[in-house]
Amino acid sequence: MFAYALRRIVATIPVMAVVALFVFSLLYISPGDPAAVIAGDQATPADVERIRASLGLDRPYLVRFGDWVWQIVHGDLGTSIFTNLPVSTMIAQRIEPTLSLMVITLILAVCIAVPMGVVAAWKQGTWIDRAVMAFAVLGFSVPVFVVGYLLAYVFALELDWLPVQGYTPFARGIGPWFQNLILPAVALGGVYIALIARITRATMLEVLQQDYIRTARAKGVGQRGILFLHALKNAAVPIVTVIGIGVALLIGGAVVTESVFAIPGLGRLTVDAILRRDYPVIQGVILLFSFTYVLVNLVIDLLYTLFDPRIRY
Amino acid sequence: MDRRSFLMAGTGLAAAGLSAPALSQGAAARTLRFVPQANLANFDPVWGTQYVVRNAAAMVWDTLYGVDAQLVPQRQMVESEEVSSDGLTWTFRLRPGLKFHDGEPVLAKDAVASLNRWAVRDPMGQMIRAIQNELVAVDDRTFRWSLKQPYPKMLLALAKNNAPCSFVMPERIARTDPFQQITEYVGSGPFRFARGEWVPGAKAVFEKFADYQPRSEPASWLAGGKRVMVDRVEWMVMPDAATAAAALQNGEVDWWENPISDLIPQLRRSRNIQFDVADPLGNIGAFRMNHLHPPFNDVRARKAVLMAISQEDVLRALVGDDESMWKRLPSYFTPGTPIYSEEGGDLLKGPRNLDAARRLLMESGYKGEPVVMLVAQDQPITKAQGDVTAEALKKIGMNVDYVATDWGTVGSRRAVKTPPGQGGWNIFFSWHAGADCINPAAYTAIRANGDGAWFGWPNSPEVEAKRDAWFAATTPEAEKAAMAGLNKAAMDHVIYAPTGFFTFYTAWRRNVSGIVKGPLPFFWGVSKS
Amino acid sequence: MSTSTIQPGTLHRPLTAGDVAAAAPLPDILPPVRARRGLIGFLRRNPTIAIGGGLMLLIIAVAILAPLLWTVDPTALAPARRTREPSAMYWFGTDMLGRDVYSRVLYGARVSLIVGFAVAFFSSVIGLTIGLVSGFVRWADAIVMRVMDGIMSIPSILLAIALMALTRGSVGNVILAITIAEVPRVSRLVRGVVLSLREQPYVDAAVASGTTTPRIILRHILPNTLAPLTVQATYICASAMIAESILSFIGAGTPPIIPSWGNIMAEGRALWQVKPYIVFFPAVFLSLTVLAVNLLGDGLRDWLDPRMAKKV
Repeated sequence: MFAYALRRIVATIPVMAVVALFVFSLLYISPGDPAAVIAGDQATPADVERIRASLGLDRPYLVRFGDWVWQIVHGDLGTSIFTNLPVSTMIAQRIEPTLSLMVITLILAVCIAVPMGVVAAWKQGTWIDRAVMAFAVLGFSVPVFVVGYLLAYVFALELDWLPVQGYTPFARGIGPWFQNLILPAVALGGVYIALIARITRATMLEVLQQDYIRTARAKGVGQRGILFLHALKNAAVPIVTVIGIGVALLIGGAVVTESVFAIPGLGRLTVDAILRRDYPVIQGVILLFSFTYVLVNLVIDLLYTLFDPRIRY
Repeated sequence: MDRRSFLMAGTGLAAAGLSAPALSQGAAARTLRFVPQANLANFDPVWGTQYVVRNAAAMVWDTLYGVDAQLVPQRQMVESEEVSSDGLTWTFRLRPGLKFHDGEPVLAKDAVASLNRWAVRDPMGQMIRAIQNELVAVDDRTFRWSLKQPYPKMLLALAKNNAPCSFVMPERIARTDPFQQITEYVGSGPFRFARGEWVPGAKAVFEKFADYQPRSEPASWLAGGKRVMVDRVEWMVMPDAATAAAALQNGEVDWWENPISDLIPQLRRSRNIQFDVADPLGNIGAFRMNHLHPPFNDVRARKAVLMAISQEDVLRALVGDDESMWKRLPSYFTPGTPIYSEEGGDLLKGPRNLDAARRLLMESGYKGEPVVMLVAQDQPITKAQGDVTAEALKKIGMNVDYVATDWGTVGSRRAVKTPPGQGGWNIFFSWHAGADCINPAAYTAIRANGDGAWFGWPNSPEVEAKRDAWFAATTPEAEKAAMAGLNKAAMDHVIYAPTGFFTFYTAWRRNVSGIVKGPLPFFWGVSKS
Repeated sequence: MSTSTIQPGTLHRPLTAGDVAAAAPLPDILPPVRARRGLIGFLRRNPTIAIGGGLMLLIIAVAILAPLLWTVDPTALAPARRTREPSAMYWFGTDMLGRDVYSRVLYGARVSLIVGFAVAFFSSVIGLTIGLVSGFVRWADAIVMRVMDGIMSIPSILLAIALMALTRGSVGNVILAITIAEVPRVSRLVRGVVLSLREQPYVDAAVASGTTTPRIILRHILPNTLAPLTVQATYICASAMIAESILSFIGAGTPPIIPSWGNIMAEGRALWQVKPYIVFFPAVFLSLTVLAVNLLGDGLRDWLDPRMAKKV
C-alpha cells in the first residue's frame, strides 16, 4: 500500500514537468507583448523597448525557463507584470470564490445526481428512468453560459430572488455567501449532474444484478435498504472516480461561469491574464489547475483501497 | 409572507446568526461602490498610462496644479509661484501642512523627485527636460525650475489631466526608475489606497484620508477643495456590461462609470437610477494607417479612406441610436472647445462618394494587395470601428485582411515597422479622450515627425511646423490660428482618419449626489444618503 | 462502467461525454419495438440513432442550404437598422450592427458543423496513429504517454484558450487548438485496445507465425478499434462544438467576421437583458445540434457495442 502510494506520487513528477515545459513554451512563443500593454496608448516605440528590457522579456528562452523553474521549486511563482504583486498572492486572493463555487457545485451535484441515478436504476424502463436519462443528455448538450444567462434572467432579474452577480466572502456570513453562489453552482453543475447521474444509474444496474444483492433480497432486506446500503456502497468506486475526473470539467466551466456571474475567482484571473499576456500569472494558474487535477486523482486512486477492499496493491 | 420575502428573511437570519457583524446601516451609506471602466491591473500612474490607472491615481496622489472645468490650470498643492521676467526661471512654493498618507510632511524634494520621474515619461515633460537647466529644492517648501528657453505652457504641463499626470509622491518612491513600477502607493491625495484589499481584476478600495487639507475654493475637476464625503470608495470591476447593469438596478453598486448606451433605455425605466453624459469632452475614434508601406504610403490612398468611411455608421454601431451622444467630426480636435477648428476637413463632410474614393485608390497605384487590419475584439470601441470600416473599405475595392485579435496583441504588433506581410500592419484602431485633443499639448497622435511619431509614423514637416506654432503662441487668437493651420495640414497629409466624436453616459443610484461631468470620475464632493 | 475499466495507477483523463458513453448504457428513452428488416427496422430498433441522426441531417441540410432559405448576406451591416426585434422582416431580429440574426444563425451552423466534424476526424486520425505507435513501440510508449498525461492534466478549455492566445483567430486554428486538447483521449483509448489485444492468444499466434506488424494492425487491431473510436469521435464532435462556442464567446475563437453561434452570442451578451433574442436563437440551435450529436453517439454506442447493451 505504502509502496504503491509512493510510486503513484513519484509518477506525477514527470507529468508536472511536461506541463511546466509545455506551459512555459506556449507563452514564450506567444505573439503578444506585455510591455506594449503596460506602456499604454501614448507610449513611443522606444518606451516599449525599455519596458521590455526592464521586465527581462528580452532574455533567451532557456535562461528564462531555468529561472522560472528555479523559482517554482522554491515556491515562488513569480510576480505579475501588471500588478507587481506576487502571483501566489494573487492566486490566494482569488482562490476562495473558486473553491467555494466548486465545493457547492460538487455537493449540489452529488446530492441531486446520485439519488437521480439510483431512482432511475430502481425504476429502470419506466418514464422516471427515461426522464432522468433525457435530462442527463440535455445537461451535456446545453453550454454552461447558456444555462447561466437563463438562470440569471429568470431568478435574478425577473423574479428578483437572488443577486445577479458578485461574490460575498464566507467571512461576511454564510447566507449572503450562499445566495451569491447558488445560481452559478446550478449552472456549472448541469453537466456534472448529468455525468454523475448516468454513471450512478449504470453502476447501480450492474450491482443490482450481483449475487449478493439477490442474497440480501432473499434474506428480506427492504428495497430501500438494498439500494442505499448494499448497492450504493458497491457502486461508490466508479462514482467517486467520475467525481475526480470531473474536476477538470469544473475548472473549465468555472472560467466561463465566473465571467457570466462576475465572480472574482481564478477563472476570471486566468482569462484576464491571457488577454493581457501576463505571463507569470498564466503560468502559475495553469500549473496550479493541473497540479490540483493530478492531486485529486492521486487521492482518489489511493482512496480506492478504502472503498473497495477487493482492490489491493 | 410570499416566497421572496421568505427567502430574504431566511438569509437575513442566517446572516445575523452566523456572520461576523455586518456593516451597519450608517457604514453602508458611507461606502460608495463604483464600477470603473476597466480593471485596475497596475497602479503606477507614471509607468503605465491607461486611463483607468490615471483615474484611480487622481484619488490617491495630489498634483501641484489642476485644471478646472474651464480647463484653466489652478494652484492645487502650490501656494504661489513666480516666474522671472525672461520666462526662464520658475519658483514654486508649496502650501503649508501638506501630509503624505504615512504621516510625513510633503517637502519640496518630494516634488522635485516626482517631477524628475514624470518628465521622462510625459510628452510635455520631455519638452521641458530638453530645455532644462536645473530642477532643485531651495528649502523645505520651495523649489526652482530653471530653463534654457521659455516654456509658456509650464502650468498646463503641471495641471493637465492627460496621463501621465505629474502626481507628487514621496521622494523614496519617486526615485524609482520611470520604467520600473513603484511598489508602494503612498500619496498626499484625499484618499488613501487600501492595498491589503486590492484584488486586481475584481476590487480596489480607497479610504478617506483624514489628514487631507482641502483648499478653500469649491472643487472644480482637479482644482479647488477636494472634500471627501464618504468613508470608503470601493471599485468593483465588472467586465460584463449586462452584469453591471443588473447590479446597478438591484442596488448592489451605486455608480457605474460607463454604461453602454443600449442599456440606457432599460436603466431609464428604473426610478432609482439617474444618468448623464459622463464627459462632455468625449472621445475621438481613430483609424490609424501605416505611412511606411503601400498602399498608405501614398496620400491619395489615405484620402480615399477619408472619403469612404461613414462616420455615422461607425458611431451608430459604437454608441447607438441616441444622436445626442455622437457627432460627425471633420477635424482632429475636440468639438465645442474654444480653439476647435474644422479647417481642411471637407473630405469628411457631406454624403459618402464611394466611386470617387475607388477612383482615387486606383490612382494611388493600389493593385489589390492584402491590407492588414488589426482589430482588437476585447475593446467595444475598436471592434465597432473595425467591423464597420472593414465593410466600407471592401466596397471601394480594398482587399481587407481582417485580423481579429486582442488589445494586448494590437499594442505589440502596431510597434512593428516591417511590411505587413512580415509581421507588420496597415491599419489599427484606437481612440483618444477628447480631453487630450483640445490642443496639441498632450496630443501624441497628431505628431508627424516620422520615426519619432506615434504608430503609423507619419512624416510631415508641415504638420510639425504648425504644431510648433501653437506651442509658440501666446495669445488666444494666435492659438486659434495655429490650430486651424494644424488641422488643415494634418487633414491634407491624413495623419490618421478620425472616425467621429462620441460620448458615453455615466449612471448612478438616486441616493448618490455630487457627481460632476468631467474627463475622469471625481470622487470628492460625492455623497450618499 | 464496470469497476474493471478503471485502472488505478493510470492518470485519469479529463472527462467528455464520451467517457460516460463507455459507462452508461442505453438510455431507454423510447420503448423497444418489434423487430423489422431494412432501414426502417434498424431505425425502429435504434430509436436514439433515429432521433439523433434525423435531427443531425436536418441541421446539416440547413447549413448547406442556408443561401436558399430566405437568408440575406449574414455579414451585411446596417447600423441604421440595429437591434430590431424579431418581426416578419427580420425573423430573428437584428444585432448591434444591424445584421440579420436569422441569416447569421443559419450560416453559423456551418462553422459549428465544420469545427465539430474536423476536430472529430483529425483527433481520431492523429490519436489513432499515436495510440498505435505507443502500443507497438515500447521505447516510445513511456515518452509519448507522459506527454499525453501532461497535456491531459491541463483542463481542455484552458489549454484551447491558451493555444488560441498564441495565434490569430481562424477556423483552422480553432480546429487545431481543440484537436490538440482532444488527441490524448483518443490515443489513450487506442493504446488501451492495442495493449489488451496483444494479450489475446490469436494475436500472439499471429505474431509467432511471423505476420508483419502492419498486417496485424490491419487484420486484428483496426477492426477492433473502429467501434469504440467511432463512438468516441461522435462525442468529441459534440464537445468540440461546445468548445468552439465557448472560445468564441470569450473572444478567443472563430474570427468575429465569420458568423458562428459563439460569436453571435458573444456580440449579444451585453444586451441579453434588453434584447435576449440575439443570444436566444443561436443558443437554441447550438443546444439542439449538440443534443443531436450526443443522441447519435449514445445510439451508436449501443448498436456497435452489444456487449455493453446486453449487460443491462
